[in-house]
Amino acid sequence: MEQNTERKTLSKKDVVKSFWRWTFFSHANYNYERLAGTGFCHAMAPIIEKLYKDNPEEYKAAVQRHMEFYNTEPHFGGVINGMVIAMEEERANGAPISDEAINGIKTGLMGPFAGIGDTLWQGTLTPILLSIGISLASSGSLAGPLVYAVLMMGIMLSIAYYVWMTGYKLGKEGLQRILESNLIKKVITGASALGAIVMGALTAGFVSVSTPLMINIQGAGMSVQTDILDKLFRGLLPLALTLGTLYLLKNKKVKATKVMALLIVVAAVGAIIGIF
Amino acid sequence: MSISLFQAFLMGVVYYLGIIGTPWTTVLGSASLFQKPLVAGTLVGLILGHPAEGVIIGAAIQLPYIAFISAGGTIPSDPGLAGVLGTAFAIVGNVDPATAITIAIPFGLLGTVVWVLHMTIDVAFVHMADKAAEQGDLKKVCFLHVVPPQIVAFAISVIPVMLGAYFGADYMARLVAMLSNDVLHVLQVIGGVLPALGVAMNLRSISRPNSMAFYMLGFILSVYLGLDTIVIAVLGFIIAWFYTQLQKENG
Repeated sequence: MEQNTERKTLSKKDVVKSFWRWTFFSHANYNYERLAGTGFCHAMAPIIEKLYKDNPEEYKAAVQRHMEFYNTEPHFGGVINGMVIAMEEERANGAPISDEAINGIKTGLMGPFAGIGDTLWQGTLTPILLSIGISLASSGSLAGPLVYAVLMMGIMLSIAYYVWMTGYKLGKEGLQRILESNLIKKVITGASALGAIVMGALTAGFVSVSTPLMINIQGAGMSVQTDILDKLFRGLLPLALTLGTLYLLKNKKVKATKVMALLIVVAAVGAIIGIF
Repeated sequence: MSISLFQAFLMGVVYYLGIIGTPWTTVLGSASLFQKPLVAGTLVGLILGHPAEGVIIGAAIQLPYIAFISAGGTIPSDPGLAGVLGTAFAIVGNVDPATAITIAIPFGLLGTVVWVLHMTIDVAFVHMADKAAEQGDLKKVCFLHVVPPQIVAFAISVIPVMLGAYFGADYMARLVAMLSNDVLHVLQVIGGVLPALGVAMNLRSISRPNSMAFYMLGFILSVYLGLDTIVIAVLGFIIAWFYTQLQKENG
């Protein structure tokens, strides 16, 4: 890599600029193929401009590097963006940070932070603040929605900003140490375990499939759902459905858009003929 | 009272601002403000000149969606459409909040269609952005990321809501009746199934040795012990911490 005598440094302004781009635009092109993939690249734009503008090859490589599949909870997941910005800064100054290292951080941490972030934001903070808002609103007072909105925006944007800057600082201070030691591997291992546990809980809570089928055995009606499936293993259908979907995506490499179409068809046909 | 075309358009805009990811009020603003019936209902009340009713009805419609989670780009139902059209028709029809909830829920199911459409059409812009990235044209990538997808989102959210609100509660009620319970049931089943895709995409990205064991643990804690997700997350943190310690000892 070309070594410049002058060190390329990002100002705080660059990092904050990237934060606001992400905060406003991360999901502007949210889609079934790469989710927030182009959103990550869009947020990296000021960083790429600043670091690689003198090096067309690296510039192009950086743009393409950040077009990959990316999906996380955007506020708590900002820690990943912060770390990646720090990694790009070191790389631009000649540090041996490979594409794999950058993608590894992104893909290794996005899933866990999606699980943790959604649980804290949508699963915990939102119901609490909504309850406050609804109780104030039941008399018709505008204070209900207003208090809810101000608290929600204030709390979440503060968290998002803090998490983002912390990620950048962690990356700056500890990057070498993190890359050399086993620390990042440990963090990803632990975060993945936590992420998988939360995903299990979310499956139980949000994937809902049940069957109204009845079987007649010597005149007595038996519900397939409550008398058979639930006794076998509660939540068997949602679990089987999710694992089947995972199998198609991961083992069979079927595209997400196709899997989605398949799910819709199966659900629709099943509902029409009375299986679901 | 009836809804004017301009009021109907404004309601469409409120719904558009609540499509998760529209950039005008940050991503947080779209998902946590405009998509929430508490906020959307209030705005619809203001548009119709009945702010107090809007607040009360919006709060009522919010109730079934309090613990709503959209994970991995899939939604089981759309609180945004339920909040906007539900509140509008409840105010116009002068019904009580409890009835408003019954009116609103089917619209929530219809809203999933708009969301799936948006998430599918946007794939096209990703492929265009890929071509721009091959040329190293970052400006074009950024343009494709924001402008075309948002024009599509605006069109597919504003037009249906505007028409629905303008032609009125009777028309929409007839439409919903025409769709009948069977069609709504189909939408409900689809809405229940789609989150599996979001979870599976996330699991794929997490996927490491042993992650399925952790996944099963989380599932069982929820199904058999009925623990809240946040409690499971705290337990998960403790387990994950010990797990990384074990890994270290094994080298």
